[in-house]
Amino acid sequence: MGAIADITTIARWEVKRTVTQMSRATLPLAIVLFLLLILVTGFAAKSGMHLQDGMYEAGVDDPAIARLLASDNRFSVYLLDTETLGQNRQAFDIVIIEGQVLGSGSERGKSAIKTVERDYAKYTNRVYNQQDDLFAAYPLWIDLQSVKSELDFLATQSGQYISARPGAMAPVPEGEVRTIPTPSATLAISREELRKELAKSEAANSQISRYTEMLSSSDSPTGRFKTPSQLSPPLPFDSIILIFVFIFPLYFTSQFFMMSIMNERIERKGEVLLSTPVRAGSIITGKALPYLAGMLAISAALTVYLRASLLIMLPLIPVIFFFLANALIIGMVSRSFKELSFISIFFSTVATSYLFFPSIFANVHVISLISPLTLIILTLQGTAYTAGDYLFSTSLFWITSAVLFFVAVTNFKDERLFSESSLIPRILGFIEESMSKKHPFFSTFLLNGFAIPFVFMVQLMCLVLFFNLPMPYSLILLLVFAAGIEELVKSIGIFVLYAQDPAFLSWKNLVFACAATAVGFLAGEKLLLLITLSQITESVFGSILFLSLGMLYLPLLLHFAGVFVVACALKFGGRKWFVPGIFAATAIHCLYNLYFILGWLR
Amino acid sequence: MNPRHLSIIAKKEFRGLLNERTILLAVLLQLFIAMFSSFLMVGLTSMYDPSSLSKYSRFRYSIAYTGNDSALLEYLENSPDFNVYGMELSPAVAALKERKLAAVIYMPDTAPDAVDPVKITLYTLQNDLQSAIVNVKLRDIFLNYEKDLRTIRGARLTEQPLPLQVPARRSGGDFYEFVYGLLIPLLVFMPAIIASALVIDLITEEYQHETLETLISTPITFSEMVWGKVLACELLVPVQAGAWLFLLMVNGIAIENVPSILLQVTLTSFLLILLGALTALHYRERTAAQFIFSTALVVVILFTLALPANPLNLLTRLAVGTAGMEQWIVLAGVIGSGALLSVATQHYAEKIGREHHTG
Repeated sequence: MGAIADITTIARWEVKRTVTQMSRATLPLAIVLFLLLILVTGFAAKSGMHLQDGMYEAGVDDPAIARLLASDNRFSVYLLDTETLGQNRQAFDIVIIEGQVLGSGSERGKSAIKTVERDYAKYTNRVYNQQDDLFAAYPLWIDLQSVKSELDFLATQSGQYISARPGAMAPVPEGEVRTIPTPSATLAISREELRKELAKSEAANSQISRYTEMLSSSDSPTGRFKTPSQLSPPLPFDSIILIFVFIFPLYFTSQFFMMSIMNERIERKGEVLLSTPVRAGSIITGKALPYLAGMLAISAALTVYLRASLLIMLPLIPVIFFFLANALIIGMVSRSFKELSFISIFFSTVATSYLFFPSIFANVHVISLISPLTLIILTLQGTAYTAGDYLFSTSLFWITSAVLFFVAVTNFKDERLFSESSLIPRILGFIEESMSKKHPFFSTFLLNGFAIPFVFMVQLMCLVLFFNLPMPYSLILLLVFAAGIEELVKSIGIFVLYAQDPAFLSWKNLVFACAATAVGFLAGEKLLLLITLSQITESVFGSILFLSLGMLYLPLLLHFAGVFVVACALKFGGRKWFVPGIFAATAIHCLYNLYFILGWLR
Repeated sequence: MNPRHLSIIAKKEFRGLLNERTILLAVLLQLFIAMFSSFLMVGLTSMYDPSSLSKYSRFRYSIAYTGNDSALLEYLENSPDFNVYGMELSPAVAALKERKLAAVIYMPDTAPDAVDPVKITLYTLQNDLQSAIVNVKLRDIFLNYEKDLRTIRGARLTEQPLPLQVPARRSGGDFYEFVYGLLIPLLVFMPAIIASALVIDLITEEYQHETLETLISTPITFSEMVWGKVLACELLVPVQAGAWLFLLMVNGIAIENVPSILLQVTLTSFLLILLGALTALHYRERTAAQFIFSTALVVVILFTLALPANPLNLLTRLAVGTAGMEQWIVLAGVIGSGALLSVATQHYAEKIGREHHTG
């Protein structure tokens, strides 16, 4: 009961402090700025974004076509007679002579041609759309039917071709052939509805969609039926914009939380709070509570405003916790405002990349599920996802947040908060504090077990990064990076033990610590995989990341050998040899992986 | 104002940045973004323009054609991208499920000149990268067929669009606009935003760490202290922006007018840094100053982007090499506003400096 009372008191203080601080001077200006923002948004929507004006120079001999081109302000259009144009072709990115578009051959010329092509397609659509006989203007419609493959997706993921090599004969299915009803020859939608959807996709050609046009030729209307020009992979652009709408307030709020933690540390202001009998966990929970409530309220309000399903909140909650946990750690670690700024910018870029980029591929590839935001897109689109998908994309966020909160709570005390050492020693100090002094080996075991979710996050990030490189390179890079990350993380525990007391690493202790590391790492891997990652593990990429799961004693030996190399390097060479030790361990790890995956040494 | 005092302050700030190794984080960040944008580009290219990846273009996809004969079948058979098999619908879809085919097309019995549209049913695999590629390749063939049908039904149209012959699709140029019209201006401009956030940190830190009194008790005046910090942040901008341009050029992106770009960015960032300094001087507390400044920044940037010939647009035009005389007009405008803001900052800093000395 006492803890709850403490938490509510601290939460109330936090709200009171923020409100008084804000209302004094900031609020009036903030309101003015907010009004200005609305005005400026209106102005920008009306006048358009002028970022790409005048990128291309076009020479045209027909005034009607010149007008058409000039409506797109990416072009600077010069109206000249046919002869002059023919002589000065090289002065322009494109010239249009007698209805013939000619590019300059440079990258800019090629890009200009594509832009003209898209502008022209838009223009013809506008003309065709006004036709009374819609089916003379749009005679061909395609009904897209998705078929769920009975094989899993690992074939494409491993970079192989999905379909078998073409032969002379038509392929014969091996399994049972289910009768597919003959599709009807007519469209299920009325002519007027189709026209409305066509008009909608035309109206969407605003300044913003210019950026999507680079990717798909037009926004596909919501219907199943498409004209051929709409037949591109649907880029969930609207949903992606919406995601920014959801994530942006979370950043802002977590910044306030970060600052609130930092403020406690400036000039030891928080000493008063620490000297009370209130426990660290209660202080942190109390301080975080208003921000958590704020984030939830903002997200819920946005969801209601957008009339979206409240199910969106489900994947959003672990993201909110993740932001809060990181804000807490950043606020506790950084020594000065500039450090706080840089670390928080760095964190938000990395987190945005992790969250945002995979979700672009929401409709295309299963890999997109590593980001919880993909689930939000799916919900917005009305596509269902399974509980397994939810676990897959959010479990890492839940676990890492919990671990970070734990580290923060154990370190929320005088000597950690007010120390003046620099970033990396501070972080090591945080880890050291979280490890029990009485049971060094057991804490090494736990440390490595709980490091696994972070390792997976970084490795998944690498998977996303390298996924698009040509096949052999992506594999090799992934191989090296995955091994390097694992060895680095495994060595942290040993390094902290060494930094505490170099004499601690006697041979006996060294072997025990390495064994604890190896077992902890393996146990963590096993457990997390049991919960989630079966989807990725089945591909070749997955087998590199998570190879060690097939058998038990071999990976254990591998993990032991890796960390043992680093430990020996530390014991004999001291800190100087730490990094070379990691490189050596990585090399061993890579060789092991190569041996099993590619059988190169066999 | 004593230039030596300014450089003392600027040096102090640089030393702080180096000591904390925060600058390393900034470099890491830069590398990371560079890596991710190349991921985005390669990833998106392979998705939307499969022919750009030779791996895919060499491959012929097996597809099944079911239903009634049409001119479409001829197009498909002549395409170098596809192997077409005439099949029955049910076994074809079953083969598709087993990944023995890449797509199945069903053609109904609709005459080309019928009143109703021709409705093709296209079966592809769900959530599959290669389905996306097959779709893109089929799209071109469908477009040709649509054109034919449109010609057949042409008499029923009341208005024909202006004729324009666009050369056939070639590879290349897909990401020109993305790179030059979005990536370059944003990346080059980012250091300016970082520098203006940094100046707020530097100034509010003196207040909140209560180191201000010590600093003012030295021969350095308050306004010299402010200007020294502005100078330190300003110097970072061309270095960081230059690093971006260098990274982009290493990636094989040709950028023209690099000196002009750096000049424009440096001068524009001066405006932002002064705005940041003024906000920080007013609030003397980081949370409020950063909050107000970042909101104001969004307003200012949105407003600027809505104006034709804005500094960001100028960066794009300089990078592609289409900027004309107007770049000097924009530059003059930026310098003018910079001078005005400088006067304002100087007055404000002097006023605060007097308060500190008397109070």
